[in-house]
Amino acid sequence: MITSGIEEKTFVLNLGPQHPSTHGVLRVLLEMDGEYIASAEPVIGYGHRAHEHMAENRNYHQFLPNMGRVDYLHALAFNHGYCMAVEKLIGVTVPERAEFIRVITNELNRITSHLLWFGAYLMDLGAFTPFLYCFDDREHILDLLDRITGSRLTYCFFRFGGVPKDIDDDFISGVRTFIKRLRSRWVDYHNLVTKNVIFIHRAKGVGVFTKEQCQLYGITGPSLRGSGIPYDIRKSEPYSAYPLFDFEIPIGDNGDIYDRYIVRLREMEQSCRIIEQALNKLPNGPIMAEKVPKRLKPAAGEVYQAVETARGEFGTYIVSNGDIKPYRIKLRVPSFSNLSLMVESFKDNLVADVVAILGSIDVVIPEIDR
Amino acid sequence: MLTDSIPKALSPLNLEKVAPGEYAKTGYHLEVTAKPEQMPAVAQAMLKEGCFLESFTAVHTSREAFTLVYHFANFYELCRTAVRATLPEGAEAPTISHVFPAADWYEREVYDLFGIKFAGHPNLKRLLLPEDAEIHPLRKEFAAEGETKAEAPK
Amino acid sequence: MDLLTHLGIEGVRMIVGLIAVIALVSVNALFLIWMERKVSAHMQLRPGPMEVGWHGAIQTIADAVKLMGKELITPEEVDRPIYYLAPIVVFLPVLLTFLVIPFSQTMIIKDMNVGIVLILAFSTLTVLAILMAGWASNNKYSVFGAIRSVAQNIAYEIPLLVTVMSIILMVGSFKLTDIVTAQGRYWFILVQPLAFILYIICATAETNRTPFDLPEAESELVAGFHTEYSGMRFALFFLAEYTNMFIVSAVAAVLFLGGWRGPILPGVVWFLIKVYALIFLIMWFRWTFPRVRFDQLVTFAWKILIPLSFVNLLLTALALKIF
Repeated sequence: MITSGIEEKTFVLNLGPQHPSTHGVLRVLLEMDGEYIASAEPVIGYGHRAHEHMAENRNYHQFLPNMGRVDYLHALAFNHGYCMAVEKLIGVTVPERAEFIRVITNELNRITSHLLWFGAYLMDLGAFTPFLYCFDDREHILDLLDRITGSRLTYCFFRFGGVPKDIDDDFISGVRTFIKRLRSRWVDYHNLVTKNVIFIHRAKGVGVFTKEQCQLYGITGPSLRGSGIPYDIRKSEPYSAYPLFDFEIPIGDNGDIYDRYIVRLREMEQSCRIIEQALNKLPNGPIMAEKVPKRLKPAAGEVYQAVETARGEFGTYIVSNGDIKPYRIKLRVPSFSNLSLMVESFKDNLVADVVAILGSIDVVIPEIDR
Repeated sequence: MLTDSIPKALSPLNLEKVAPGEYAKTGYHLEVTAKPEQMPAVAQAMLKEGCFLESFTAVHTSREAFTLVYHFANFYELCRTAVRATLPEGAEAPTISHVFPAADWYEREVYDLFGIKFAGHPNLKRLLLPEDAEIHPLRKEFAAEGETKAEAPK
Repeated sequence: MDLLTHLGIEGVRMIVGLIAVIALVSVNALFLIWMERKVSAHMQLRPGPMEVGWHGAIQTIADAVKLMGKELITPEEVDRPIYYLAPIVVFLPVLLTFLVIPFSQTMIIKDMNVGIVLILAFSTLTVLAILMAGWASNNKYSVFGAIRSVAQNIAYEIPLLVTVMSIILMVGSFKLTDIVTAQGRYWFILVQPLAFILYIICATAETNRTPFDLPEAESELVAGFHTEYSGMRFALFFLAEYTNMFIVSAVAAVLFLGGWRGPILPGVVWFLIKVYALIFLIMWFRWTFPRVRFDQLVTFAWKILIPLSFVNLLLTALALKIF
C-alpha cells in the first residue's frame, strides 16, 4: 500500500498513464527508496469499454467483432476462442479445411504479436533499430492476412461454423515465401540482440518468476513457460486442428527476462513449423458447416473454452438462457493474471528494471480493462 | 488422476455437489457446488492438489442471488473444475486471496462490476471503474434501455 | 612589438576566431543532425528525411526555424534564475574549448600551453549545467535524470583523464600542436590501442550517448533532465550535445589519429575526415546497442574502466622508461 510519503526515506513516483514504456494506458504508483522500489501499486481501468456488458445487449453474431478489439494484437485467437465456445453451445462441427485455415491464420497472427513485442520491448531497453526490422517483417504478414481477412489489425475473420472466405494459391505461396524469409532473419535477430552483452546483462537474473508464484497468480503463456512449466493449451488441452501437427513447446530454466525472451523467439519458429505442416496437409472441402442458423438461439447452459494466445490462456465463459442474447459472457484474459504478479515482482528492483520486467510480461492493457 | 483425487480431497468438506462434468459439452471435468463460506477451504484443497485459479467471476442469476463461479485448472494434468456458490443479495463472500493471490484482482473486479463485497480482502477498491463511481454495471438492473430483463437459466 | 599592438592583434585574432567558431558550430550542428537522421534511417532500413532539399539536406534548417518560432514556456514553479542559466552554461564552455583545437598546422585560435587541460576542464562544466537544469525544473523526473547524469559523468571522467595522461606522458607537453607534431612517424593509436578504446567508451559516456544515455532515456524518464525545456532552450541542450560530440572526436583525432596529418589533401580536410569518422562511430553505437542499466553503468566505470586505464598508464610509463 502506498503511504502518503510522509516518511522521509521514500517518495512516490508516478509511472504513466501516459508513458512511452507502459504498453497501453497503465498507471503504476511507485514508492521509491532512491532508485529502488519499496512498493508498487498499479492502477488500471483507463481503457474499460464494458465489453462484457456489451455482450449482454447484443446477439452472438453481433458480439463477434468485439473480440478483435479486446486484444488487438492476437485478435484471431480471441475470435477463435469465442467461436469455439459458441460452436460448443450450439453443437456445430467445423469442417476440416476451415480448421486448417483457422490454425494457419492464427499462427501467422501469433508471429505478428511476438514480433511487435520484440521490437517494442527492445525499444524500451534503448535499442531503437530492431523495432524497424520487426515491423518490416510484420508488414509482410499483415499484407497476407489483409488479402483474405480484410483487416490489418482487429480481425473478425472467423464465423460460427467455419470461416467466410477461402484461401487461394496466391496466399499459400505468399506464406511459404514469407516463412523462408523469416527464417533467414533469425540470424540477424540473434546476432543483434540475443548475443549482445548489454542486453544479456539487463535480462539475465532479472525479474525471476518462480514456479510457486506462477501457480499462486495463475500465470499462463510465455511468462509461465519461461519459468519451466510446459503448459500450453495447444498441447495440454488440444483444440481445433492442433493435434494433427508436430511442434514443440519451448520452455526456459530460470524464469528471468532472458528466458521469457528466448521462449517467445522459439515460439515464433514453432509457429512457422505449424504453418508449414498445415499448408502441406491442407485438405479440400467446405469451409463452413452446414445448417448454422442465422439467428442463434443456443440451448440453456454454460460453456468454458480455453485457447492459447500469444500472451497466455484466453478463456471464454458463456452462460446462455436460451435467448438470442447471451446471459453472461466472461472473458478470462491472460494479461489480467500476469500483471497482478507485477506488484510482488517489482519489489527491491531498480526503476530501470521496472520497465524491463513490465515489458517482458508482454501485457496488452486493453485486454485487461476490456 | 486428478478427476479422482480432487473429489477425494473435497469430500471432507461436505460440499453440496461434486460430480464429473460433460467435458465435450461444457469444458468442465468436474462440477462442484459449494456454499460461499466453504470457499476458502475449497481453495486450500485445490491449491494442495496443484491447481491454479484460472478465472473467477459472478453471474447475477436472480433478483435475490448471485452465483460465484470459480474455475480451477492444473498445469500438468488436464482437469478443469468449476466451483459454483450461490450468494444471497447483500451478503458478503469470504475472500480466497490469502490462498490464491490471483484472486485479489478478480475479487476487486467482481466488487466493481457487481457490488459483491469480500470479507477479509486486503484492498477492496474498485479496479476498472473510477474509484468514486457509484454504479455496479453488470447487475441486471443496468440492462440497456429498451431491453427486457432476461432471466437466468434454470 | 609593444604590449598594446600585441594585445590588439591577439584581440582581433580572438574575435575573428570566435566568430568562425560560432559559424562552425552552427554549420556543424546542422550537418550532424542531418547526418544522425540519415545514418539512423539507413541502419533501420528506411530513407530518412527526403522532402526538404536534396535528400533532406536542409531539414535541419526547417526544424531550427520551427524551434525558434516556438513559445518559450516557463513552468510556474521552476527556480527561475537557474532555469534560465542552465542552457547557457551547458553551451558556453563547449564553445570556448574550440579556442585550442588545431584544425590544421596554422588554423588554431590560441595555441595554449595547457591546451588539453583547458578542454578537459571546460567539458566538465556541462555536468554543472545538467544538474542546474534538473534541479531547477522542479520535477521528479528531471531531478532523477540530473542525478544519474552527475554520477555517470563523474565516474567516466576519471578513466578519460587517465587515458589522456598516458598520451601526454609519451609527448611530454599539454600543447595540442605538440601532440600532433609528435605523431610524425606513426599515429598513437598504433601504440596505444587500449587507450583509444577506453577513450571512445568514456567519450560516449561523457556526451550522454547511447548506450550511456540514461540521463535522457526517453522510454524511462520521459526526457530526463530536459523534460521541462521546450523551444529554443531545448535546442540549446541539443546543440550542446552535438558540439560536445565534435569536441571529443576532435580531441580523439588529435590524440590518437595524428590530427591534421595526412598525404596530399590539406590538413584541415584530413582533420575533418577523421573527426567525422569518429562521430559516425559514436552514432553507430546509438543505433546498435540497448541502454546500460544505471548500476551496471557505474559498476562498469569504477570496477573495470578505471583499473584498466591505470594499468595502461603504468604500462606506458614502464615502456617509456625502458625504451
